[in-house]
Amino acid sequence: MTRFLLRRVGAAAVLLVVLSALIFALDQISPGDKARAYVGGNASPAAVAAARHQLGLDQPWPQQYLRYLWNAVHGDLGASLRTHRPVTTDLGQFLPATAELVLFSFVLAVLLALLFALSGALRWPGTGLYRGVLLLGATAPAFLLGLGGIVLFYGRLHWLPEAGRGVDTSSPTGFVLLDSLLHGDGTGFVVGLRHLLLPGLALAIAPAISIGRILRSGLESVYGADHVRTARAKGIRESGVLCRHVVRNSLDAALSMSGLQLGFMFAGVVIVEDVFAWPGVGYYLAQSIPQSDFPAIAGVTLLLGGVYIVVNAVVDVLQAAADPRLTV
Amino acid sequence: MTVLSAPRRKFSLSIGDRFQPAGRVGNVVLVGLLVLTTLVAVFASVLAPDNPIQPVGDLNLPPLSPHHLLGTDNLGRDLLSRTLIGLRASWFSALVVVAIGLLFGGLLGVLAGAFGGWVDGVLMRFTDLFLALPGALVAIAVNAALGPGLIHTLIGVCVVWWPYYARIIRAEVRGLASRPHVEAARLAGVGRFRLVVKHILPGVVPTAIVTASLDVGNVVVLLAGLSFLGLGQAAPAPELGADVQRSLYLVLEQWWIPIIPGLAVMLLSLVANLGGDALRNLLAGER
Repeated sequence: MTRFLLRRVGAAAVLLVVLSALIFALDQISPGDKARAYVGGNASPAAVAAARHQLGLDQPWPQQYLRYLWNAVHGDLGASLRTHRPVTTDLGQFLPATAELVLFSFVLAVLLALLFALSGALRWPGTGLYRGVLLLGATAPAFLLGLGGIVLFYGRLHWLPEAGRGVDTSSPTGFVLLDSLLHGDGTGFVVGLRHLLLPGLALAIAPAISIGRILRSGLESVYGADHVRTARAKGIRESGVLCRHVVRNSLDAALSMSGLQLGFMFAGVVIVEDVFAWPGVGYYLAQSIPQSDFPAIAGVTLLLGGVYIVVNAVVDVLQAAADPRLTV
Repeated sequence: MTVLSAPRRKFSLSIGDRFQPAGRVGNVVLVGLLVLTTLVAVFASVLAPDNPIQPVGDLNLPPLSPHHLLGTDNLGRDLLSRTLIGLRASWFSALVVVAIGLLFGGLLGVLAGAFGGWVDGVLMRFTDLFLALPGALVAIAVNAALGPGLIHTLIGVCVVWWPYYARIIRAEVRGLASRPHVEAARLAGVGRFRLVVKHILPGVVPTAIVTASLDVGNVVVLLAGLSFLGLGQAAPAPELGADVQRSLYLVLEQWWIPIIPGLAVMLLSLVANLGGDALRNLLAGER
């Protein structure tokens, strides 16, 4: 187990270095003279040369990369060309909103997936429609789901708010649901929840299908297994058979798929945040793209990509802890 | 990602969960839809009733208006024409990405599978490295570094899209290499190159075709997402994702202007998924 743990953590570290090197390389090929951008368009050639030296741009690129890595580790990802603030400050401000949306959406996705898998495997009546709608939704791009939700639930039915988080985001932890719970603020909780529902659903449908399919095929293969027949023959009630002998044994592949999907959601959140003007890092990225604000784009890629890599590593380790056969 | 939740494809999906058309006729019809979509894309400029870039009618006409089947946008441009031309860009871009991914990934996969040993080790480590990075985000970063533009978008997506094919093709080559007919050819003294080209590659082709056709839908959605984020063609050119983004603010007054291009993306992805499934069923039935 220790060897597996070390190997997995090592692999994640290598991936983080590769990701940072990739972003550094992209920064090199992105158009624009950074020294000139630093001093302004009207600066003299001497001032530009001085700035180039000051920024270390006259050094060979391995040294520049090490400098970039050193700065990144110390929380310096450069300044955004659009907001004129340090990128890390921006990211720190917007990350909680993204984390809250992704985690909420992940819970939704798991619930939808369970419903999808159980209804399919157990042949519940009336599930064809539910499964059809979900499958259809999985082929739609996230922005269409979001827009459809806005037109229907805000424009026509007036049930849910259109966009944003609905509350002042300067709450202590940055997590609206958590804060309102801690303060016993019922209205705040409901407002936060209502704003989360549409973006959460738009983000949840694709992962729900992926997890649900794996879970369903797992359920179906375990359902006919010998140990399940034995359990039934012993006279255990059907619900008991289902919970203790079927679901638990078919979770393995579904768990690893869930981890994978959680990672993907941190990437997919960009479009959903853009549709709903959700004040997170994805919205920040979407606004940086038209302005060609590469430091900001690189910062978000590094952050969300890092989260993706770490989530996948943690899931692998958790899986190995649950099923030691995987460490071999 | 969903781009971006890029629906990616690390696990094979159980067959029973996908759309299942009834029988062989249904499958043929669905594959026909794939061909039809490609034909519509090829002849998009002929089929489009109006110039997609010039205003041709009143502003904000709803769908089913006379002379404008899908209505017009807030600049008076015909939405059917814009959607058709945008559909052509989406479909061909996706085909190009899948073709390049298949060629490059397939080449690496065949090399790794055929040589084995350290070549296999090195190539697959390299592939796994790319497979473990968040594809959609890297595509955004590459695209943003190169600047907006369709070619840059295609480069960005191609950079992250080949590893999946390398994995699948390698596995297929390894599987075929131990089959009796390949063993027999090897014992008969057939050289390594000829062995791969004549005895292994033909067996890889069906898997490659099915994998690629099932993947077109994923690429369509990813490309639409990038275009939606402003990483596609420049302003007046019709592009499905970008057209949604530009009319986002109209969704409550003139819902059809952003929704119709979005539905077109969904239609393409649906056709690609259904057609890919049908193609697999047909090929599986013939084996």
